[in-house]
Amino acid sequence: MAAILPQLLNLLLQFVDSFGFLVLSAIGLAIIFGMMGVINLAHGEFITVGAYGTALSYHAGLPLPVAMLVGVGLTTVFGLVLEFTIIRRLYGRLLDSMVATWGISLIMIQGLRIVFGSSLSSIGTPLGSVQYGSFSYSTYRLLLAGASLLVLGLLYWVFTSTEFGTRARATIQDEEMSRALGTNTNRMYLLTFGIGSALAGLTGALYAPTMTIVPGMGSTFLVEAFVTVVVGGASVLVGTTGAGLLLGFINAAFSNLFGTFAGRMALLVTTILVIRALPQGITGLLDDVRGGT
Amino acid sequence: MSSTSYIPIEERGVYGYTMERDNSSQTVEDRNASSRSSRRRFLQASGAAGAVALTAGCSGITGGGSGSDTLKMGVLEDQSGNFALTGIQKYQAQKLAVEEINADGGINGQEIEMISPDPQSDNQRYQELARRLINRDNVDVLFGGFASSSREAIRPIVDENQQLYFYTNQYEGGVCDTYTWCTGAVPEQQISTTLEFLTDEFGDNFYTIAADYNFGQITAAWYRKVANEIGANVIDEEFIPLDVSQFGSTINRIQEADPDFLVTLLVGSNHASFYNQKNASGLNVPMNTTINMAQGYEHLRFDPPALANMYVGVNYMQEIPTEQNRDFVSRFYDRWPDAKYVGQMAQNSYFTTYLYKQAVEKAGTTNQDEVLAVLDEEPMSVEAPEGTVTTDPETHHVTHQIRLARADEEHNITFRNQQAVEPYWLRETPYPGCDLTQTVGASEDEEMTQYEPKGV
Amino acid sequence: MGGETTTTVDHSAPDGTLSRLRSRLEGPNTLGEGRAFWLGFTALLGLLLVYPLFRSSYYVSNTAYLLVSAFLGLSLCLVWGYTGIFSFGQVAFYGIAGYTFGIVSINVTGPVGTVVGLVVAVAVAGAFAFLVGYFMFYGGVSDVYVAIITLAVTLVLNTFMGQTAGEAWAVGAARLGGFNGMTEIPSLALGVGDTAITITDAAFYYFVVGTLLVTYLGLRVLVNSDIGYVMVGIRENQDRTELFGYNTQKVKLGVFTFGGVLAGFGGVVYASWGNYIDPSVFGITFAALPIIWVATGGRKWLGGAIIGTFAVTFVSQKLSVFGGQYSLVILGALLLFVILVLPEGFVPQLARRLPGGDES
Repeated sequence: MAAILPQLLNLLLQFVDSFGFLVLSAIGLAIIFGMMGVINLAHGEFITVGAYGTALSYHAGLPLPVAMLVGVGLTTVFGLVLEFTIIRRLYGRLLDSMVATWGISLIMIQGLRIVFGSSLSSIGTPLGSVQYGSFSYSTYRLLLAGASLLVLGLLYWVFTSTEFGTRARATIQDEEMSRALGTNTNRMYLLTFGIGSALAGLTGALYAPTMTIVPGMGSTFLVEAFVTVVVGGASVLVGTTGAGLLLGFINAAFSNLFGTFAGRMALLVTTILVIRALPQGITGLLDDVRGGT
Repeated sequence: MSSTSYIPIEERGVYGYTMERDNSSQTVEDRNASSRSSRRRFLQASGAAGAVALTAGCSGITGGGSGSDTLKMGVLEDQSGNFALTGIQKYQAQKLAVEEINADGGINGQEIEMISPDPQSDNQRYQELARRLINRDNVDVLFGGFASSSREAIRPIVDENQQLYFYTNQYEGGVCDTYTWCTGAVPEQQISTTLEFLTDEFGDNFYTIAADYNFGQITAAWYRKVANEIGANVIDEEFIPLDVSQFGSTINRIQEADPDFLVTLLVGSNHASFYNQKNASGLNVPMNTTINMAQGYEHLRFDPPALANMYVGVNYMQEIPTEQNRDFVSRFYDRWPDAKYVGQMAQNSYFTTYLYKQAVEKAGTTNQDEVLAVLDEEPMSVEAPEGTVTTDPETHHVTHQIRLARADEEHNITFRNQQAVEPYWLRETPYPGCDLTQTVGASEDEEMTQYEPKGV
Repeated sequence: MGGETTTTVDHSAPDGTLSRLRSRLEGPNTLGEGRAFWLGFTALLGLLLVYPLFRSSYYVSNTAYLLVSAFLGLSLCLVWGYTGIFSFGQVAFYGIAGYTFGIVSINVTGPVGTVVGLVVAVAVAGAFAFLVGYFMFYGGVSDVYVAIITLAVTLVLNTFMGQTAGEAWAVGAARLGGFNGMTEIPSLALGVGDTAITITDAAFYYFVVGTLLVTYLGLRVLVNSDIGYVMVGIRENQDRTELFGYNTQKVKLGVFTFGGVLAGFGGVVYASWGNYIDPSVFGITFAALPIIWVATGGRKWLGGAIIGTFAVTFVSQKLSVFGGQYSLVILGALLLFVILVLPEGFVPQLARRLPGGDES
């Protein structure tokens, strides 16, 4: 029994790690997709901007938490500018938004490479590790999982307890009616895109100390973000959390037992199966269970 | 033993022959060289006639370059995309060599024109641009390629057009091709010498994590092979897909296995995140690689002590303290002040350009068949920043000065155990049995096989 | 045409084989009709046919290579532009066919082997498309979820094929080669034994132009036929089309399978051209390219797909030669421009301004 305990703990920590990664990758994308139906293929690059902002500020001498705030701020501004100039022309044009954001992504990746070179010096991971038996796990990574829960909780509070949140949910549900009732939907979209960008920037800032800072780093998050959003379905909170739990568990279990290749394949195959079985994603499943709309 | 002083070349019985070989049995007349090149010329003429008469058969004109004032050098290095980190270094080093040679009068009075489009780390671009350089620009020599897949994508085109091609990257070994010269280090050079040192120093048991594709898998097979030969023991191996960047479960498995040292054969920026994560999780184990640090300069990009106690068997790193190298490095940064590092592959591109120059001067012409013949006649040496590099005509690879580099807790690099190691494996009979000095044949017979160690 | 001996031949007359042919080729689902258009088309075709006489073999071969991508573009145009199925996975069929061609033609040597390889590869690609299509459409998956499933399938192939490096991963004499790719794929050769014509250089050019022409005309007939109307109906409003009694699932499956066949053909020709194929054809970058080509040219029009594909691949190749580091930036900017300013693609815009173009 004692021999199994560290193994189980391994699995648990890997699961928690995976859950955090999936949720944080997806949350920015989920908000933008859930609210505005825009598939932002440049989502990975938003994360990269957050990481770059953090790394550059950190190497300029700012303490890490402040540098992270700078990273988030930078990404938010960037997102707002992009929304104002380009994205707002693409609402309702789902597939066109994919193509346009793909173009933005190409520009950003190569642009970052031209301006900053092929790699920035990385940031060391803080906070050491936690030991158990012959194993150890990075404390910081566990913190990231905690951060993902915090983000979900914060969003829940915003969406249910603030006026903005109520209007946002109304707009998601029925844009015309919401506008008729006095919501400035344009401003709503702008703000929501800003929030989505900020969250993507936060992901970049948080993961920056664990990764190499290269222009193409966003691609690591992109596929995970997409499958989580799609498996999750339309509801931002329920969907993302549910998808994070399911896919996180599958990824962790298969990686633990059979290696990272198996983990990756399992993730993709599960996505295919879930979409087939639950065309509306996990949100649809829970709606059915609840007997809701 | 001081690890920073220059260690003269040692003779080792097991892992390499001495550098000076007795070439008296290999006189030019004994070889089929002259008859081979006239046979090639015959084939060339009939091929050209065939190409005019039919649309099938060889395309392009072989042995390009018409004795004009410029010599065209095609260079395919990634200046954008995933491999730009190293591709740009290689481009810069080659450009430096070309500029130095031109300032010095060129090759046989001809100025080198370096044509370098950007393949964007994309194999289809490699194919398109290789055709462009060979068939439209009629380059006298082709350099380039980063990942082995880019080399394999253009080798059919190179062979079809009988184009002289230099692949200057370290890779997993096994290419035996009439028209291709591989001047990067290969596994038997980088592993044989270092593994013995590491097992003596740390213990017999090691654990391998490798990128899950040809380079990683074949190099891991090499580690198994050498481990068998010296009595070391591979506890386990894990192969990791290239797009994975989160290593939690991998690190746990390594901890569970508790090896004496860890062999890391990780490729790409996703994999490089491993070092940070390993460090953060408190896993302290010596490491060995053949590929990291020497071109991706992880020891400069990551904060210490992420790469602490990392050993790499390598022919070149920027930090080599010889006079020759310091001079090269300062010239490199004079020319490219914004460069971040000049690494193994970049240095390979640099000395290979000089190697080519020497071969052309010896042949007296840029005609590709003649230059290939000269290279196949006998070994040729060139003074590279790493030291003396010598060609091996049988295998179309080169003998390198291999050193064992170590990064300490502050990421300072020290070197030890320098020796010249030949690319001995490809020549071994009966397998793989590569002897390109005996090759006579039109490009249709060219084998594309890439040999791998068997039975490991 | 009968045996008319009038001095002016009226091509707008309702009978006569020429006008019957034209009526099948023309319709609201394609751009370009009328005499002026077809004259222009014939002139363009003539130019294409004499092109090898004026240019060196590199340019001829390269132009043909750029045109090969048009099969991939057309397959996406048919599937997405006409039927509204947003597939990220056309490259999966392209790649599968390429690999299958390699496997078969390496094992069955000789020119006959390559032809057998072509047939088998295209069939396998079609079968795979059928399976994926069945899985999706009969499961009620639509819109963006189709995109995600097809993307996931493509990425699974990418991850899987990338690690097939060892000796064990071989089908007969053909090694899959993993990340390094499958080498020594022979070129297509038509004929038997020594008299076979190997499809390289000028032969390659004429082969591509010929097959592309036949495909284009065939597709024109298809989209202007009854099925074509159903496809467009599905794109515009699937529910309503179903209410009218059409079996939309069957039509979608059929179109998707045929799209797989088309993409597969392109894959075979690509593998034959380069004598090589590798898993990067299953990568996300390459998977997005057909969408870019077709969106730029005009996804709802066959001509748009072909011209858009050729234009973007041509420009992007030129950029890699001359653009240095900026080539990808320029490509991205081009995409943005097209989507924002010319969302229909540039070909319909052009067509409206030319005589014989679609007036709608």
